[in-house]
Amino acid sequence: MMDIRIFLSLAVVLFTIGVYGVLTRRNAVGILLSIELLANAVNLNLVAFGHFGAGAVGQVFALFSVALTVTEVIVGLAIVVLLYRTRQDITVDLASEMSR
Amino acid sequence: MNLFNAGLVAVFAPLVAALLLFVVQPIRYNRHLAGGLSALGALASFAASLTLVALRMGGDPAPAIYESTWLPEAGRSVATIGMHLDGISASMLVVVSLVALCVQLFSLEYMETEPDADFGRYFTWQSLFLFSMAALVVAPNILQLFAAWELVGLCSYLLIGFYYKKPSAARAALKAFWVTKFADLGLLIGLLVQYGAVGSVGWDPATVTAMQATGSVATVVAALYFLAVMGKSAQFPLHVWLPDAMEGPTPVSALLHAATMVAAGVYLIVRAYPIFLAAPSVMLAMSLIGGFTALFAALIAINQTDIKRVLAYSTCSQLGYMVASLGAGGLFGGYFHLATHAFFKAMLFLSAGSVIHAVHSNEISHMGGLSRKMKLTTFTFITGAAALAGLPGLAGFFSKDQILEALLEATEHNTLYWAPFLMCLATVGITAYYMSRVVFLVFFGEPSEHAHHASEGGIAMWAPLLILAVPSIAAGYFGSAFLRLTGIEGEFHVNHITPVGGLAFALAFGGIGLGYALNVLKLGAGLGTALKPVADFIEYGAVDRAWLAGYRYGMLALSRGFAWTDRYIIDGLLNAIGASVLSIAEWVRGLQTGRVSDYVYVVMIGVVCLAAWSQLVSLAGGVQ
Repeated sequence: MMDIRIFLSLAVVLFTIGVYGVLTRRNAVGILLSIELLANAVNLNLVAFGHFGAGAVGQVFALFSVALTVTEVIVGLAIVVLLYRTRQDITVDLASEMSR
Repeated sequence: MNLFNAGLVAVFAPLVAALLLFVVQPIRYNRHLAGGLSALGALASFAASLTLVALRMGGDPAPAIYESTWLPEAGRSVATIGMHLDGISASMLVVVSLVALCVQLFSLEYMETEPDADFGRYFTWQSLFLFSMAALVVAPNILQLFAAWELVGLCSYLLIGFYYKKPSAARAALKAFWVTKFADLGLLIGLLVQYGAVGSVGWDPATVTAMQATGSVATVVAALYFLAVMGKSAQFPLHVWLPDAMEGPTPVSALLHAATMVAAGVYLIVRAYPIFLAAPSVMLAMSLIGGFTALFAALIAINQTDIKRVLAYSTCSQLGYMVASLGAGGLFGGYFHLATHAFFKAMLFLSAGSVIHAVHSNEISHMGGLSRKMKLTTFTFITGAAALAGLPGLAGFFSKDQILEALLEATEHNTLYWAPFLMCLATVGITAYYMSRVVFLVFFGEPSEHAHHASEGGIAMWAPLLILAVPSIAAGYFGSAFLRLTGIEGEFHVNHITPVGGLAFALAFGGIGLGYALNVLKLGAGLGTALKPVADFIEYGAVDRAWLAGYRYGMLALSRGFAWTDRYIIDGLLNAIGASVLSIAEWVRGLQTGRVSDYVYVVMIGVVCLAAWSQLVSLAGGVQ
């Protein structure tokens, strides 16, 4: 029987990599991928907690989370495509006109 | 016809004429229709006014009041609008409509040379003017009176500035408007003070008692109302607009000086007399100002070279009499003089208009010897001048005698009333002098070159003169009927010459003798040149200059002060607040870099902080 700590540790590692990616990446697609890592780290937590005690609720939440993540990725990719169309470039630092 | 219908016709007939002229352009542009309609309105008004007087003479002496609520507020009304028909308003309506009718008939010929459009415009304003004055006369409270009062001011502005393309006329109209508007502030503020203190805008005994009960309200309100009267009735030092108002056509001057504009001020005192009676100090000031105006204006009139300006200053002076009398408690004298003065002053102005029409000039030096060419005008002008000077037997004599009697009576209660009494008495002689001067210079002596081709005008010009001559001569004999009609307490005797009357009579003859000596026999020619600088100083606007200086150094300086405060203190404060908000915002804006990763950093820091905080809380809980 596997210990829950293994799953939680994996989730922490994934989450940390995701945060690192979001913070350091300048490429919009890279950021989106990193966000996916964050989301999946959380999903892993949900499934793990569900399996080790909380019951089916954790699994159901994980399914919801996956569905939400998919829609979020669709929106995010749409933004990336539009960004590319307008400036032939998907470096997010350049897209900061709204602050001025 | 009952009282109500007669009152309605008297007030609204001119309004119907004015509205038709104003709205229906073809009528306005047709000179026969325009003049005819306007005169018809005045005639209907006059006939209805006569009916009113007849009904009042026979009927119940209590005033008939027809009114409906106006400006309803919280279940009651602030004021009423309607008609207050008593002997005073009925008699005033007769005076106003008769003078207006004569003036309009006269204008039919006098204004003949105007283009169609201007002719129609003239009669539109004339009709509106008559309506405004009638609405003022029948006002049942001071609020309606104020509304009509402003309409009267507007109409006089429009008519004084009738030749608005002439800069001097436009300026004179504006001057009249501004001066009277300044004074009207007194009426408006007084109205507000009165309403605020006692919740009524009337002059009924209950209101006056309530005002007396609240300390000095009656005095304040009476003083404010008197300020408005000073503007409208051209009392010193607000008389400056009246001589300039001569820029209007001569019939307009006749209307303005006799029946409508200047009469409104005196009429306000007569109407709101209970309020003034409750303020003895204002009464005294009124009498002093009136007496001074009478003397001051008469002195200026001596030296005028323009026939209309002589008459303008004489109006000013006669209004001074009325105000002085009202201030001394001589209600009947003041009001009676208002009525008789209206007739003979209108006649004088129309006669002067007839002369001006004949010689095409206002200057007295351009006239002379007209008695041979214009017999009828000579007769009416001399009659008017004699009535104005107060020669016995004519209307002016009786009313002026009443005024002097009232002033003399007032000296028994307060010796300060000697001042207005003596000033008014002296003015009798001066009035006789300056009127006889005009008569001698215009109608006798050698004709000037302008006067050679002078001739009498047509029937539209001489008929009104004759109509007005009747009351100018005879009004005095109806004094006791007038007294009964108006219901004012007092006595009136036609054939009873008082010592004061005799003295005034002697002074008047002295004045005429002096006029003859100086202007016909040319005695004392050096006297005129010696006194000229003094006369010039008074005439060329010592008062005007004082107002101008007051405006320039008082009002403008004050305005500049306010502008500075507004710009640098009030605006400055607001600008400082705005600028500081802007600079703070500029600084805070730096937080919004627009870079996605910066926002994520903040989110991460937040998450870490939250986690640390929750750990701390659980640790603290664990210790407990």
